[in-house]
Amino acid sequence: MDTLGIIGYSAYVPRWRVARKLLGDAWGAPAPAGTKAVGNFDEDALTMAQAAAWPLVASGFRPDALYFASTTAPFWQRSPASLLAAHCDLPPVLATADFGGSQRCGTAALRAALDSVSCGRSVLVAVADTRDGKPESAEEMLFGDGAAAVALGARNVVAEIEGWASRAGDFLDEWRRDIDPHVHSFTSKFSATRGYVESVTAAARELLEAAGVPPGAISRVVLASPDGRVHQEAARALGISPERVEDPRVGEWGVTGCAMPLLLMARALDQASPGDLILMAGYGEGADALLWRVTDEIRRRPRPLVSPEALTLEYPSYPVWAKLRHGLRDAATADEMSNVFWQREESQNVRLHGTFCPQCGRLQFPITRVCGVCRGRDGLTEKPLPRTGSVFTFTKDYLYEALRQPTVMTVVELEGGTRFLCQMTDCDPERVEIGMKVELVLRRLREGASLHHYYWKCRPL
Amino acid sequence: MSESLRDKVAVIGVGCTKFGDNFDASYEDMVVEAAFAAMADAGVEPERIEAAWLGSYSPYGGNGKASVSLADAIRLYDRPITRVENYCATGTDAFRNAAMAVAAGACDVALVVGAEKLKDRPVRGLARDAAHPYKGDGLTAPGMMAMAANRYFHRFSIGRETLAKVAVKNHHNGSLNPKAHFRMEVTEEQVLKAPIIAWPYGLLDCCPTTDGAAAAVICRAGMAHEFRQDPVLVRGLGLAVKTGRPWYDPCDDHVGFPATGEAARAAYRMAGIANPVGEIDLAEVHDCFTWPEITHYEDLGFCPKGAGAAFIAEGRSALTGDLPVNPSGGLKSFGHPIGATGVRMIYEIVTQLRGEAGPRQVRGAATGLVHNLGGPGAVACVVILSRN
Repeated sequence: MDTLGIIGYSAYVPRWRVARKLLGDAWGAPAPAGTKAVGNFDEDALTMAQAAAWPLVASGFRPDALYFASTTAPFWQRSPASLLAAHCDLPPVLATADFGGSQRCGTAALRAALDSVSCGRSVLVAVADTRDGKPESAEEMLFGDGAAAVALGARNVVAEIEGWASRAGDFLDEWRRDIDPHVHSFTSKFSATRGYVESVTAAARELLEAAGVPPGAISRVVLASPDGRVHQEAARALGISPERVEDPRVGEWGVTGCAMPLLLMARALDQASPGDLILMAGYGEGADALLWRVTDEIRRRPRPLVSPEALTLEYPSYPVWAKLRHGLRDAATADEMSNVFWQREESQNVRLHGTFCPQCGRLQFPITRVCGVCRGRDGLTEKPLPRTGSVFTFTKDYLYEALRQPTVMTVVELEGGTRFLCQMTDCDPERVEIGMKVELVLRRLREGASLHHYYWKCRPL
Repeated sequence: MSESLRDKVAVIGVGCTKFGDNFDASYEDMVVEAAFAAMADAGVEPERIEAAWLGSYSPYGGNGKASVSLADAIRLYDRPITRVENYCATGTDAFRNAAMAVAAGACDVALVVGAEKLKDRPVRGLARDAAHPYKGDGLTAPGMMAMAANRYFHRFSIGRETLAKVAVKNHHNGSLNPKAHFRMEVTEEQVLKAPIIAWPYGLLDCCPTTDGAAAAVICRAGMAHEFRQDPVLVRGLGLAVKTGRPWYDPCDDHVGFPATGEAARAAYRMAGIANPVGEIDLAEVHDCFTWPEITHYEDLGFCPKGAGAAFIAEGRSALTGDLPVNPSGGLKSFGHPIGATGVRMIYEIVTQLRGEAGPRQVRGAATGLVHNLGGPGAVACVVILSRN
């Protein structure tokens, strides 16, 4: 029997933070300490999932299937998984599926992926959420944005799946109707004990019993936590000591929705040693519990992946954040898009391919029929662009009608010398300079007439 | 080697509207004013015009597109008319095409009109007409010219103070010009303290968005004296095109506009000019922003690369300098209705060569240069005009 499980993992926490004090001050209410991680105005669940998934694809992983999970997917119809596949430059021989509808959709995608893996397929699972709470609500204080991705397969497994168990059934504690922009909730002792704790512990007990693993053998538990506290009750009920519970980082990142279990799993794997047993649980109208055993392969882990604290930026005020949160949607300016144009330029605009000239050895953008350097026309081929480089030149533009000025416009010299023109995002304009190291990231560029439009920007490394 | 056009074409009439916020004038109103002024200046009736060229960059509201925008405005029918568009070099390229037709003997007398109505648009600055929906989104006209300036700053260690000198000079010249959009002087301090539009450009480093039209009547040089005693001859012409997407060119150093150098070399060759500073008495160059004027000094061969800052600081391009640049006030102060600008520059040089420029007159002006630059430095057109 092959070893099946996680062969790679990645996480993405947006750089922007909102201090909870800003929200408290805005509403004249006491606020919990800390911050929540929130996407920039040009981010959404798709771009964050792409940011999480890309390092796995860039490392050479070519999955047979791609599963995307979110309760805040940017399209109801137009498969975000398929959009994600294209933006990760995956070939079209691919099975995709979209998961949603529950905070449990992240672990649901993982379960489905494990089923596929047991049939011999490799799967990339990408999960992201960007939930909104009502203004002046506890959810507004709590909810943060985040994403994670895992590669699953049968070779070079770093965490082997030991088994999983699920419980399902309707429970009314958090919901969002088709017509609601915000999550509704019943936060109560009843919701905590009869909903969360009961479901999570039941699924976990069933799993541990089936696997013959006593709670004391668990090295680490990774639990979705709807409020940053109640997961501790579930761990206590399972008989797992508090120091073995992965901190859900609600004080820094907030409650990161369906991405939370996978995001925390990435963090746990960053710290794990061979032989560790990791219990994971997702919650929402039931619970999924999964048990993982860390293998020797974890020693090949190049460096801790989840270190988003390095470069954070704080929103200056509540009004600025509130304006930017859905600012693109509220200021739809893009023209109607031709689907012929979209399709024909997919490899360039979406897959980020340029043209390689074998005569002069240059990779150029955009795609060209005649080499811009040596004028060669023979043997030109499409190649993906490198994603890192440095600022060749820039400007800070106050004329462009952006949600937040200035717009930093850059010419980036990518590794190997390819030049690329794009906006810079996630930056302090005061610190932009020629030579600064950047990476290319997928962002939402514009809104309208009836579409979200995505394109590439750069951001400081 | 192609035949030279040198001295085969003469400018016999020029006209120009007041440039500015011409809220009460339509596109047609301005075309009519400039075109009939040029014909009156040349002493020709519309019937004498055998062909016409219209330079207009950005059609809007049914105006500026195709030949009919000129034909219907001045009711000039039953003869060839061509609309030219070549970015901000539109006006000079319309002139160049007309000059080539006259030199080729396709017509004896031709009309060139450049016109643009920008102040009735729903956008600030220039609209991104026909742009790619994704590539380059976020780029504006000042932003485009600012990215090159920042690279130049990086390479040659100059700062905004040098740019401010260009604004001060050109505003001074514009203050002497009744047709200029802006007629106020500015100080270096005002320029440096103006709000930033696209770093390093502040508001006063940018040319305004302007309405205006200009026109010229040209004819075969051999018949110019039938119309007037002081015709101006077209001594040199050059147009060069480089990439319209320099930011993707891995070899582009971004410290100047190579198209300008190419166009200038072609024009100098035709005109027999070996030493531009010694042989050119004045120049109208494309100062859409302050920094481009600095690099134009270099790319036009007035000084070596990197020496543009000294050229302005030493006052050599001032009205009293050895090579006055933009005596009209330039795009900076006179304004920049895109398609009109190149023809307006010809209007200015012709006016100067005739000695009719009043308080901004460059003494002893015998040979003048016109330089238009379009797009991100993609298209440059240079015209050399001389007193007969």
